[in-house]
Order: sequence, then C-alpha cells, then structure tokens
Amino acid sequence: MADAGAAPVLVLEPRPATRRAWLREVASFWPVLRMLAAKEFKTRYRGTTFGVVWAVVVPLLQATVLAVVFSRIARFEVEGGSYAAYVLTGMLLWSYFATSLPAATTAVVDGSNLADKVWFPRVLLILTVPLSNLIGLAVTHVILLGALPILGADLTLRLLALPLVALLLVVLTIGLGSVLGAMHVYFRDTKYLLQAALLVWIYLTPIIYPADLLGRWAGLLDANPLTGVVGLARWAALGGALPTRSAAVAIAAAVALLVVAAEVHRRHDRRFVDLL
Amino acid sequence: MTAPSAPLPAIELDGVGKRYRLAERSLVQALRPSRRRAVRHLWAVRDLDLRVEPGETVGLLGHNGAGKSTLLRMMAGVSEPSTGRVTVRGRVAPLISVGVGFHQELTGRENVYVNGMLLGLTRAEVEARFDEIVDFAELRDRIDTPVKFYSSGMFMRLGFSVAVHVDPDVLLVDEVLAVGDVAFQLKCFDRMRELSARGTTIVLVSHSMHAIGLLCPRALLVQGGRLVFDGPSEQAIEEHHRLLALGMAAADGAEPDEPVTVDAEVRRGDVAVARAEQDDELRVVGRVRFDAAVDDPRLVFRVMSEDGQLAYQYDAPMGHRHRSYRAGDVAAAEVRFRPALGAGGTFRLHLLVTDPEGRRVLGQNRAPLLLYVPPRYGVQGFADLGAAVSLDGYDFPHRPLTLGPGAAGADAFTGAGER
Repeated sequence: MADAGAAPVLVLEPRPATRRAWLREVASFWPVLRMLAAKEFKTRYRGTTFGVVWAVVVPLLQATVLAVVFSRIARFEVEGGSYAAYVLTGMLLWSYFATSLPAATTAVVDGSNLADKVWFPRVLLILTVPLSNLIGLAVTHVILLGALPILGADLTLRLLALPLVALLLVVLTIGLGSVLGAMHVYFRDTKYLLQAALLVWIYLTPIIYPADLLGRWAGLLDANPLTGVVGLARWAALGGALPTRSAAVAIAAAVALLVVAAEVHRRHDRRFVDLL
Repeated sequence: MTAPSAPLPAIELDGVGKRYRLAERSLVQALRPSRRRAVRHLWAVRDLDLRVEPGETVGLLGHNGAGKSTLLRMMAGVSEPSTGRVTVRGRVAPLISVGVGFHQELTGRENVYVNGMLLGLTRAEVEARFDEIVDFAELRDRIDTPVKFYSSGMFMRLGFSVAVHVDPDVLLVDEVLAVGDVAFQLKCFDRMRELSARGTTIVLVSHSMHAIGLLCPRALLVQGGRLVFDGPSEQAIEEHHRLLALGMAAADGAEPDEPVTVDAEVRRGDVAVARAEQDDELRVVGRVRFDAAVDDPRLVFRVMSEDGQLAYQYDAPMGHRHRSYRAGDVAAAEVRFRPALGAGGTFRLHLLVTDPEGRRVLGQNRAPLLLYVPPRYGVQGFADLGAAVSLDGYDFPHRPLTLGPGAAGADAFTGAGER
C-alpha cells in the first residue's frame, strides 16, 4: 500500500508545471479522457428514442432548408453543378463546429463540481466535448456519402481525404475551444461573445453561398480558417481546384491554436478552480 | 513515527499560503492593463507548515472560513498554493464529497467505473474491485439502476464505497460522514480504521467532534488560515470550543430599546461556570428588570447549539397566576437544570422574557451565556437517553463506540475515549 518507491509524488508550487511534465500528465490521463467522452456520449442521448439520430437530423434539416431556399429564391449556382451538395457538405461540417464550440467553451465552468474535488488536467473537460461529438460527425459523413450520388456528384477516390479534413476540423475545434474554455473561467462574457460571433461567422464562411459571389473580395474569406476546412471538404466531395491558400491558413491556425491552448492550460491548470 | 527506513512524510506543507482575489476582474479591465487598480485579496491560508507521517490519521478543525477546505484542495492537488510548497506522496483519494462525477442518468455500475477512474484507478483495477465495492455499498440488486432512482443514502453509500476501495495512500475526507444512516457510518469508520491500519494516511475534516475524537489521535486547528494548534485531538477539540466561544462572545451585542432587561449567569453551586459535566446540577440565575409595564410575561429558557440549532427549550409563565409588572419592577428568576446534552459541545444559553403568547421577545440576557459540555463518547445528537445495551444477557458498560469485528489497530482510536 504505502509503497513509497512506486507511488507518485505530487509537488505543488506557485508556478506552473514544465511543458514536458504537463504534456506527460495530460497524456497519462488518456484513459480517463476516453472514459469521460464515452460517458458524455452515453448520457447525452440516454432516455431519447432516436438517440444519435438527433445529432444528424438537425444539421441535415438545416442544410435542406437552406439548399431549397437559396437555390430557388436566391438562385445561387456553384461550379460543378449541385448547389444542394455544396450546402450539405459545408453545413455538416459547420454544425459540428457550431455545436462543439459553445459546449467546449463552458465545459470547465460546467464541470466545476467535478473540477473542485478531483485533480485531472482541466483541458480534459474541454476535450470531452469535441471527442464525444465525433460519432455524430462520423454518421454525418456516412450520410454525405449516401447523398452525393443522389445530388448528382460522383464518388471519387478524393473522398478518402475526407477523414483528414474532419481531423483538421476537430483539431481546430479543440484548439479554439480550449482557449475559449480557459478564457471563460476568467471572463464569463466569453460564452455570449462566442454566441454572437458564431451568428456572424457562418456568413463569413462560404457555406450557403459560393465564395465567388463576393467577386474580388472573395480572397478575404481565406483568412477565416473555416473557409479552408469547408473548401477542402468540397474539393474532396465535389471536385474542383484544391484551395491551397485557405487550406494553409486553416492548418496554420489549427496548429497555432493548439500551441496557445496548451500554453494557457499549462499555466493556469491549477488556478482555474479558484474561480469556479 | 520512526520506521527503519525513516519514511518521508506523506504530506508536507512548507510555508504554504493561498491568496484569493476578492473581486472578479472584468473583461474590460483586463484589456486595459495600464489602468490597474489595487485588487483586494484574501489570504485563506497563510504561512502554514505541516508534516503528516505515513499512516497517521489527523483531524482538521476550524470554523467555517478558517481555511480547512482550501487546505484540503491543495492536498488534493486541485489548487496550487500562492506561496510555499505542498508535497503529497502517494495516491490521493479525495473524499471531499461523495459521488464525485456521478451522473444521474448512468447506472450504478457505470458510475462506479467513472468514479473509480477519476480517483485514479485503471479500468482493470475497477473491475477487480467491483464486487467488493458493490457489496460494501449493499447495492447488489440495484447496481444496474440509474442512480437518479437511488435514495440519497444509496447514492452516498456507493460514492463512499468507491472512494475507500481506491486503496489510496492518502485519503482526504471532508464532512461526508455526516450523511447516511448510523449503521453505515459505523461501517465507514471501520473501513477508515482498516485503511489506517494498512498504512493509509487520513486527513479528516468534520464538524463532528465525536468523529474526530474517535478516529484521530492528532488534530490540527486552523483559524484565519493559520495553524493555531497541533496536538492530541482532545486538546484540539477543547481549544476549538474555546475559540468558538470567544467568537460567539464577540459577535454578541445587547439588543437596545427592549422593555425588559435580563442579567443572568450560569452557576454550579454558587460559582459561575462556563464549563460543566453532563451530570452537574446547574442553575441559571437571572435578574429581570422591567422598564415598561408588562402583563402576563413568560420566561423562556433556551439552549442553542454552536451551529444555531435548538437543543432544548423550556417555557413557563412568570408566577402561578396572571401577573402584571410595572415599570421599575425587578424579579429574580432561576432555572435549575442538568446539561445532559448528548454529544456535548459549546452551547449558548438564553433567558428570555416574552409576551403572553410567546411571540415577541421583550428582553433577554445581555451578556452571552456560553457553556461548554465535554462530549460523551458513544453518544450523538443533543439528547442523552442514558442508553445501555445488553446482548444475550450480557450487559455492555457505557463505553466508546464498539465497531464491527476484526478492526485491526482499533485500540489506537478507542483508546482516546477510555478515560
């Protein structure tokens, strides 16, 4: 029992853990993270009849409505033909982002009754959200594959790149969610700022309209990391030119956010609880 | 504690302080660093040095806001100190509240896994202990029911059971033994002593002096974030009550503008006392002066516990017949009683004069009447019914709590009560 040789030693001082120690600790909690994500997923749909179907139906419905409204009324047209397939691809990715991000942002604060009592890197609470939403994202992709031929798009080998695009989206969500989640502990305005930002953000991303609608301003959209993500997804699903510029922005943003997130959490990990 | 290998302390605090910011910083303030104003801080813990040897069971005393929870949080590794260093050697299981991470929608079984893994077990380790955990909690037939259908007692039992089966090197217990039925409480005591006998270090925070006295040979008393006493738990408890009484006295002020003034004191024989044994014959002797005319007043003798609960009240009309007092009248009041106050503690005595219906207080003793009654081991609650137990015709003497069989090392704990 009190076998001091193998036992872990906890040393707390008023300074953050070293980078290596912090990363090692987070990695050692991988089984706990998996368990928390599974728990999150299980409890989310427990008691509902349709379960995970809800995770898919809502964005699907949203995409359908938008596709009908904008193709009939606004008469948007996209290269490659199918506007419906264009909206669907963008909308499914966006819905993962827009549902995961707010929940990730409030995760540490929402988990305060847990965080108050047991030690684990707080970033676990945040990671749980995008990870537990992965199943919904996977189902979404299956539906997309089924819908593409119906909507007149060809199934090509490029589709094999879709999981990589999804990975980019997930990393982007995790990075941004972790930064916002830490910020929300200190400034409870963050949640509302994000809500407002998401309302605008969807229109700053070429999801329901074709990017070239903006003419010579279209290039500005490339500064938005999500432009790259949906661009890559459309390249994989619908063809066209590889959006190298926006994709580079997305990848750079994902990596940068991940680094910032790790640094913020490393420095504040054992201070969050004082404000919960 | 001198083992051959001279083990390092299980818990070591060196000059530990914890500072909290009193006001939250707004987003706008944060964005304007140049306009930094002086922020008010509160030191919840200050310059605290402490060493707890492996296998020790230590009680942590102090009234609300003294810094107990902050200390426990730092020992649990949840919060970092603002100054100094906290070192905890071994696996820590915080039992700061039971059922941490329990999710209402999940079944008992699922929650055991979630909880066990949060407390540092691997999935395989939870699996190996699963049966033991469920049996200890006495929930075998309900384990696959969502915990939202559990009673609070069942919920508590499962939570406690997981925590004590983590086989921690350091177990931090905060005020969780107060819930649940007495039988399960005894079982928990038992389990804690078993863990202690096997070398687990235990830090116990409780408002139950009884639990502290029973389980902890050593106790720490914190006040204002500083360690003010570290020693045998009996002395710590007495010191705690003394500080509590001082605090109460300071907080007490005379109520102005009441039509009746009461001056009273507690006496044993003819000597004023602030401490008494449960069997003592005591008197509250009071002088009641009426500053206004009062018809048919009632005299109320009231005993409150330190946490503000009514322990006892006796209420009588003043005089045999209806009686009126004029302004300037003085009456002598006396209440004879025995402070058979069960588990003991510091009590606040009141002598009040009320209107005939007992609704409005016309006056009460101006100086606080505080009485410390030492605990009677084996007794909980306010009342002492003088219970005696006999099993198969064999009479048990009135003695400390006898716990379940096979509690190794039990003497270390019960010894405290054998006075």
